Amino acid sequence: MATKQWETTLGERKSMYKQSENSFFKRGEKTSPISVILVTSGSRGNKLLFRYPFQRVADCTSSLTTKQRSPYALNTTGDVLEDPDGDSREQTPLTDQQLVAGFSDIILATILATKSDMCGKKFELKIDNVRFVGHPTLLQHPHTIQVSKTDPSPKREMPTMILFSVVFALRANADPSVISCMHNLSRRIAIALQHEERRCQYLTREAKLMLAVQDEVTNMTETDGSPQSPFRQILPKCKLARDLKEAYDSLCTTGVVRLHINNWLEVSFCLPHKIHRVGGNHVPPEALERSLKAIRPYHALLLLDSEKALLAQLPLDCSPALVRLIKTCSAVKNLQQLAQDADLNLLQIFQIAAHLVYWGKAIIVYPLCENNVYMLSPHANISLYSPLAEAFGQQFPGHDLPSMLAKFSLPLSLSEFRNPLDASVQEAQLIQMVVWMLQRRLLIQLHTYVCLLVPPSEEEPGLLRDEELPLVARVGGRSLSTPSALSFGSPTSSDDMTLTSPSMDNSSAELLPGGDSPLNRRMTETLLASLTEHERQVILNIPAAQSPEDLRMFARLLHYFRGHHHLEEIMYNENMRRSQLKTLFDKFRSVLVVTNHEDPVISLFQSPLE
Amino acid sequence: MGMSRIECIFFSEFHPTLGPKITYQVPEEYISRELFDTVQVYIITKPELQNKLITVTAMGKKLIGCPVCIEHKKYSRNALLFNLGLVCDARTKTCALEPIVKKLSGYLTTLELESGFISNEESKQKLLPIMSTLLEELNATGACTLPIDESNTINLKLIEQRRDPLIVQEYDVPVFTQCKDHFIKSQWDLTTQQILAYIDGFRHIQKISAEADVELNLVRIAVQNLLYYGVVTLVSIFQYSNVYCTTPTVQSLIDDRSIQEECLNYVTKKGQKRACLRDVFQLYCGLTPGTTVRDLCSRYSQQLQRVDERRLIQYGLMKALIRRLQKYPVKVTRDERSRPPRLYTGCHSYDEICCKTGRLRRL
Repeated sequence: MATKQWETTLGERKSMYKQSENSFFKRGEKTSPISVILVTSGSRGNKLLFRYPFQRVADCTSSLTTKQRSPYALNTTGDVLEDPDGDSREQTPLTDQQLVAGFSDIILATILATKSDMCGKKFELKIDNVRFVGHPTLLQHPHTIQVSKTDPSPKREMPTMILFSVVFALRANADPSVISCMHNLSRRIAIALQHEERRCQYLTREAKLMLAVQDEVTNMTETDGSPQSPFRQILPKCKLARDLKEAYDSLCTTGVVRLHINNWLEVSFCLPHKIHRVGGNHVPPEALERSLKAIRPYHALLLLDSEKALLAQLPLDCSPALVRLIKTCSAVKNLQQLAQDADLNLLQIFQIAAHLVYWGKAIIVYPLCENNVYMLSPHANISLYSPLAEAFGQQFPGHDLPSMLAKFSLPLSLSEFRNPLDASVQEAQLIQMVVWMLQRRLLIQLHTYVCLLVPPSEEEPGLLRDEELPLVARVGGRSLSTPSALSFGSPTSSDDMTLTSPSMDNSSAELLPGGDSPLNRRMTETLLASLTEHERQVILNIPAAQSPEDLRMFARLLHYFRGHHHLEEIMYNENMRRSQLKTLFDKFRSVLVVTNHEDPVISLFQSPLE
Repeated sequence: MGMSRIECIFFSEFHPTLGPKITYQVPEEYISRELFDTVQVYIITKPELQNKLITVTAMGKKLIGCPVCIEHKKYSRNALLFNLGLVCDARTKTCALEPIVKKLSGYLTTLELESGFISNEESKQKLLPIMSTLLEELNATGACTLPIDESNTINLKLIEQRRDPLIVQEYDVPVFTQCKDHFIKSQWDLTTQQILAYIDGFRHIQKISAEADVELNLVRIAVQNLLYYGVVTLVSIFQYSNVYCTTPTVQSLIDDRSIQEECLNYVTKKGQKRACLRDVFQLYCGLTPGTTVRDLCSRYSQQLQRVDERRLIQYGLMKALIRRLQKYPVKVTRDERSRPPRLYTGCHSYDEICCKTGRLRRL
């Protein structure tokens, strides 16, 4: 008995092992649609106008034979095997094509062309392993079709379309954010089509064409007997069919869709899951948005394409602010300087920068400077034969990528990387190489973070339970975030954002200069009041604390010593030099712990493309 | 608890004269006339969609059903169409409920074929109390055992869906996420039982395979199974020559009280007073690229008095406070006649090469 159990579980696990191997390679497909389908409902009933990819008719006919079957007959058309436990998880992974091919045109028309009360809302239907998502849209009757009651001659009734729906079929286990993105695209296309229909009956015309071709092919099949797919014939004749095909192809490859419905209305869309990936998994849009909201004025925008290429991709009626920003941005300029140079306010810069990052056209980095320390990204592809290595060799002849990457195995600052004895041309090339590697997200930048941790006193640990609670947990968080009005799509109301200094309420109050005045002493005391008695004692016993300026500086920066603010941020907020801060850290090293790691805010952007 | 809550269970069928209708639903009147009209095409379906799990979202609700069609001359219209489904709120995750719906449709089909349970008006009425019990018990405990008649019992259980686990390599080291003593050996298969004793958070898969005398691929599968259930997690091999560096998550040691407690309890040497947070945090921050564990031990010997460095590294890796820097040899230059590198391509780490070729570290 026990042996049998062992065998069956082993069998299951062997298949599970195999399945995970398959799914490892199929992970990318979870974000691609399986099919795009256009259905309508009208006076002529429910019709499927177009679907892509279209299967050969031979596959179609097999689905018809499954109709008259007892539920106990073994299904051999590649459908899910009946598991006696009712577990609907697939035992044999089906290809995407097989999943949707099993649905005939007629059944799809029935289930996807919904009733009118489901219009204007998200439509989601899951059948076994396929999920259909769309946005059924109601059309109004065109004015021109008014049958006059006084006219005795029988008028030919024009077929009217009541509603239509562009539906995407996905694998059922697609991520919810992917599903809502697909719904978004379906809705956008629907809006464009609805508009064009009202303006010039575009959809009705295209529908007529498609149905005519379908009828023609059916007739041909009956006379000739040679099966053909009507959709293949539709493609060259209907622009809308070509648009839908293009949308599907783009979603499966780049994730960026740009359509021109009726050569007039532009529908653009990007699937962040294809553009932003970390080590094989996509970045959820919520994480992306959280990171974008945490961009600071001292960050910089690094374009991923050349300026010319990027400008060429923009539509004619794009915002001039966007063009200005692209022309003036550079990897060494931070966003605040960019605002000044491009003559835009900081909030606009944030919004445009976020937009470019969302679309995968730029990433957020810390501005390039000598003291930046870079290291290989944990997700970097360092293979000898990767396409990146080839591209690098072409861009920088005489150098190879693995050797260059090997230099960054351990953290290297830009000043160490460069050799001042080199000719300036070579130096410039080295910087270009670093920028190239940053663009391809091969490098991460390390920052220094500082945390206040006082050595515990010698008493029993039991008594010290509360005292061990470090500063962070006791002091309420002072939020040092970006301008709060940065939310997507919201109108700006803070044009008075100052450009010269960071938000004044973020830096601590300016202490009056002038040594050991009673006012300064009192301020220092107040700042140190958030510490426990023991901590205060230890700090005051440090030799450096005897100097009032040093103690004052320490107290002023106390709220940064929680391990969440790196050196450069403190420098920017407090207007201090790197050497000043480093000296301070050194003086108080007995109570501070220093570590280096990447900035979690922008590390989300340092994920390599597939 | 994260269990999907079932709002309503309904039984719908195709009445010979009235068409598709809801015969029973608990609680009563949950599904409005409007809602049913909108979705009836997905409940009592065309033949092509029979025996498929259909989930439709409409009017803020999700309906999950599996339409059944039994054809026989004895039925009016020569076929019996019905569907026993569940209704949840549109935002609920319903994956775990799908096997239940499928199983129920299977049960009812069996009952109908064996004893005409549904076509007989009298026995059909027994459905109502069955549905009430199901609703109550599934929502309360996630499981339900219900005898229908003398020979048939329904057994249902909601099973949590988990993500597919990673492939386990021979140089990975499994480590228990919770205390090993909580592990009930007898619940697992023989292979797992055999390798259990060798999982100590330091032996890697290849070593476990050799010492437990179990074939390598079986060990990989068994550990992958444990990984799936969250019983173990994978870390890298511990060596004093390893290099680690901190991740931004290391700050959670300062921010999160529970992680602090757990960490300090885990890394303190047995029999010693509990290590203090400052020492442990300093040790983690002392791990930088360019510093081996050996260097750490010599530099921070004072902090290591009460801390076991192996468990320190283990905990850091498990909670992603630190990460390992792996070395990848790449053969950049080669003459025309030599073969292209097989392992030195930048895709295989030192760990992997050493494991695969059985050679020592000095490559």
